[in-house]
Amino acid sequence: MRNARRNGGRLAVALCAAGALVLAGCGDDDEGGGGPAAQPGASGGQAPGAVDVSQCGTDPGVRATGEPIKLGAIVTDQPGTSFTDIPYMARAYFECVNDNGGINGRPIEYVIETEQTQPDQVSAAARKLVETDQVLGIVGNTSIIECSVNHEYWESVGYYVIDSGIAPECYSTPNSAAVNMGPRYSSDGAVQYVLAHGAKKVVFDQSNVPGTDYIAAGPQAIADDAGVPITQLTEDVPINDANSVALRLVQEAGPDGAVVLNFTPPEALKILQAAEDLNIHENIAMWACSTPCNTDFLAAELGDGWENLLFVNAELTPLSESSETIDLYRAILEEYGDDVQGGAGSFSQMGFVEARIMVDALRRVEGEFTPETVNAAIRETEGFDTGMLCEPWTYGDFPLHIPNNVDYTVTPRDGVMVIADDGGCTPISDVDPHIAQYRAAVG
Amino acid sequence: MPDWPLFQPFLVSGLALGGVYALSGVGMVVLYRATGVLFLAFGAVGAMGALIAYSIIDHGGPEWLAWAECVLFGGVLTLLYGTVFGPPLARRGPLVKAVATLGLTLILLGVMDLLWPSDGGRARSLELPTSDGGFTIGDVRATWTQVVALGVGIVLVVATALFLRYTKLGTAMRAMADDREITATLGVPVRQVEAAAWFGCGVIAGAAGLLLADLVALDAVTLVFLVIPSLAAALIGRMSSITVTFAAAIFIGLARNMLTPISEVSRYREMTEFVVAAIALLVIAARRQEISFTREGA
Amino acid sequence: MLTRANLIRAAVAAAIVLFCVFGLAELLSLYYIGAMTQVALYSVVALGLGVLVGRVGLYSLGQAAILAIGAWVAARLLFATSQPHWLVLLEAGVITMVIGILVGLPALRLRGLYLALITLMLAGAISVLVNRTNFPNGGGGFLGYDGRGNLTPIPRPDIADSDRAFFRYTVIVAAVMFVLVLVHLRTKPGRAWAAIRQSEPAALAAGINITLYKLWALALASFVTGVAGGLLASGQRFLFAINFPPQESITLLAVVLMGGAYSLWGAIVAGVLLKLLPALLNDWGLSADWLFILFGIGVLQVLTTAPRGLADQFPKDMANLGRLLWRIGRGLTGRARQQRQAPPAAQAGAAGTGGVAAEEVEVAR
Repeated sequence: MRNARRNGGRLAVALCAAGALVLAGCGDDDEGGGGPAAQPGASGGQAPGAVDVSQCGTDPGVRATGEPIKLGAIVTDQPGTSFTDIPYMARAYFECVNDNGGINGRPIEYVIETEQTQPDQVSAAARKLVETDQVLGIVGNTSIIECSVNHEYWESVGYYVIDSGIAPECYSTPNSAAVNMGPRYSSDGAVQYVLAHGAKKVVFDQSNVPGTDYIAAGPQAIADDAGVPITQLTEDVPINDANSVALRLVQEAGPDGAVVLNFTPPEALKILQAAEDLNIHENIAMWACSTPCNTDFLAAELGDGWENLLFVNAELTPLSESSETIDLYRAILEEYGDDVQGGAGSFSQMGFVEARIMVDALRRVEGEFTPETVNAAIRETEGFDTGMLCEPWTYGDFPLHIPNNVDYTVTPRDGVMVIADDGGCTPISDVDPHIAQYRAAVG
Repeated sequence: MPDWPLFQPFLVSGLALGGVYALSGVGMVVLYRATGVLFLAFGAVGAMGALIAYSIIDHGGPEWLAWAECVLFGGVLTLLYGTVFGPPLARRGPLVKAVATLGLTLILLGVMDLLWPSDGGRARSLELPTSDGGFTIGDVRATWTQVVALGVGIVLVVATALFLRYTKLGTAMRAMADDREITATLGVPVRQVEAAAWFGCGVIAGAAGLLLADLVALDAVTLVFLVIPSLAAALIGRMSSITVTFAAAIFIGLARNMLTPISEVSRYREMTEFVVAAIALLVIAARRQEISFTREGA
Repeated sequence: MLTRANLIRAAVAAAIVLFCVFGLAELLSLYYIGAMTQVALYSVVALGLGVLVGRVGLYSLGQAAILAIGAWVAARLLFATSQPHWLVLLEAGVITMVIGILVGLPALRLRGLYLALITLMLAGAISVLVNRTNFPNGGGGFLGYDGRGNLTPIPRPDIADSDRAFFRYTVIVAAVMFVLVLVHLRTKPGRAWAAIRQSEPAALAAGINITLYKLWALALASFVTGVAGGLLASGQRFLFAINFPPQESITLLAVVLMGGAYSLWGAIVAGVLLKLLPALLNDWGLSADWLFILFGIGVLQVLTTAPRGLADQFPKDMANLGRLLWRIGRGLTGRARQQRQAPPAAQAGAAGTGGVAAEEVEVAR
């Protein structure tokens, strides 16, 4: 190692260069956040300043100082897949509540555990939250595998989780209720929409991740019931030959058919753009997409030409609509949501809705705040008007929970997602046996 | 098995995909021949350049600046790497040199995900002006970008071959690939020649990144691992023949796409480049031809 | 063989294992128990890769795929049969070893970079297959996969069902694997590997069957990685193809190089880097992206300045630091001559340079 010192010097140069890159990039990101939805108001047309954020609390302007009420969340955050915007937005809402009276003067303390889709880590995170941090309730969970891994644990300790569901168990177990519909029921909605608008064939393509068979069963049941042929495909992600994927989908669907995609926004964008580049996107009757495509990023990147050609199932009120709740959401995002990297969009909307449900439950707790009283209050949530879903939201004591089962359909226009024709609130068909089972349970 | 007409569009898109693979493959071979380094960070460098270009446009910067930045960024970063890590590793074997470029790949992968995170369902894309137009073959449109990619690939092959054969710098590079020490004693400025090779190949990486961001996707992980099919092609070209590499890249691109419509094997088409490369390597093993790697030995 | 240094090493190793089993298992929070279980089993994976890189110069870029095979086999056997858990681990190891040999047999005719690249390609092909077949989750058929949800956890041994007990179990199995490799290094195969690494022609001239011993190293590495896969299956309780991304093999090689491929301690350092560090970053709220950056810098640093890795470098640095402090201390107090004890860090340095201390030889020629 004669040249160790000289090499050390080179290494230092390289490190400085890497550091400079990081700094340069950070500055770059701070200015614009890197996407269209980072500028609140760009898609809604409402000035957020017009709303008084203090309406999130009961005691405007009074900071809560009592003993904190601890809540927790588990969220996937790994290179390439990150759902942190959801708990970060929930935290922004809690901060707002804390600044405006808290829960009877007590602030909310929110512990967010991140994980990298390793089952043992996910299971340890749940135990840490309950046993070490001693949180009283769980809200804002968003993870590819969390429900699968932890649902038995939540059942054993009697915690009733409010989450954004991805895995099948988020919708099929007693202690998990999601504010979103998840991939299966959202795909159901997309398939229903294309069938209602005359598609003679459906090609359903989804990413090859855990639970594909479970998701595929929903669209299959709906297409079978309508007597329309359906082809099921899966793709390994990340897709690196989007052109051939798009070609195959269009060939399979044919001129009267529809392609329904269930992918994350970047993957769906690859397929849709490939179809447009090949100029085959108009060779089929229509394209549809489950809810992840409902982001203004996608609408902006796709550009013109997809209006009333691409239909996206939307489980939350589109931000192009205007309502008091959406204004409040934007205002809180503006004032407290610095960490919410994706800005306004369905991810942070979910966090907002989940936090509201939780705060409502906490306000209904009488007496001591314990895991028992808090979780009882969560479970007793019934008919809560979130202001962002088609229907009021109910937890209840059921063997399974699909509380969000009525939804919108949107289409891209001028870089944002807007409600499509006949895209208003439409119930997911109970041809999907799970939906039927849930509706029967609720009565 | 679908009918032949169904395959036609896949033929077109397969050619374009092959052209894309060829671009990186040829770049890797040239750099390997000139410096003895198998540069596995080829995709990562291009991806980072393309993401910066995206940010420039996103912040309202002029497009020409973004395109120039991407190409130059590739050149400068690769040159920087070559200058800093080339000399200390010069006496090591090709294996160590290649593994070191994986180090750069990991750094870039981390930096890209930090600076262009995927939170909140973000999707990005980069569209070159050449993608607005095109012409129709059969049922599908070929964009000018695809033509450019294929064209750049061919031009690169021809130009590199001429450059290596007829220019002084090219001859020096070829000589260095044979024996660095002897070349140095003959009075060739080894450092400068290497620097030229690093910069030139970095420029190719940047250009490839730009084209791939448009043709495939602007997504760090996708672009980083796109080096695999290119590497497979370069291996078939035994890391020395530019023309064979080009042809192999076209073959891999075609094979992948032609397998797509055949339902039985479509699910396994992702294996194409791995299998092709493994077979190529095993053929080399069977013939005991370790050509360019041994020449460059420790 | 029973030199003083060896005795000290053995004592330190035994103390670490005993401390993990009786101390750490009770002291740590459940969160860190999970992380440390991973550290223990990934140390075994790193150990296998260390044998390949450090002993026969095979830079494998496919160890994550081998680990996935071990985990798949173990999970399938655990669902299908009710054999004792240790037996399943053994079987997973043996089956993985057979697959490793079958894959390696034709590949071993290649050397250096080509050999590394073919591992990358084969691993890529395997990961596409794993993506398509998925991991067993309690379903029926040969694949044992049921994609409809409501998964069954992969069984753990009866004596180690809780996380703490499973941590102890993992540490003990890992220790057995370390001993297995150590025995190899100290007997005939180890000497043959050392000779091959010095010079293949010389080894050939000395009558060493090079292909046999290379295959032996591959078999040993596949076996321990297969066993680690079994531990992974039961430790995680659920397996998903997304847990084995293509980057994993690269980061594995990175941490093994950083830890030091030439010593057994390096394998433990690699395990710590790979699994404890992410847990700490998570705990501190830092992005996992920093790991990629750190590992990348680490690879470049190790390859350019410290080819023997942290396990070798760190004790030396500490020893240097100790000497420096010692000198400063002596200068300050001026009573150094009366205290005759050696700086403690220097001893740690002596213990830390374990493993075979042969010169690094480039096998890529």
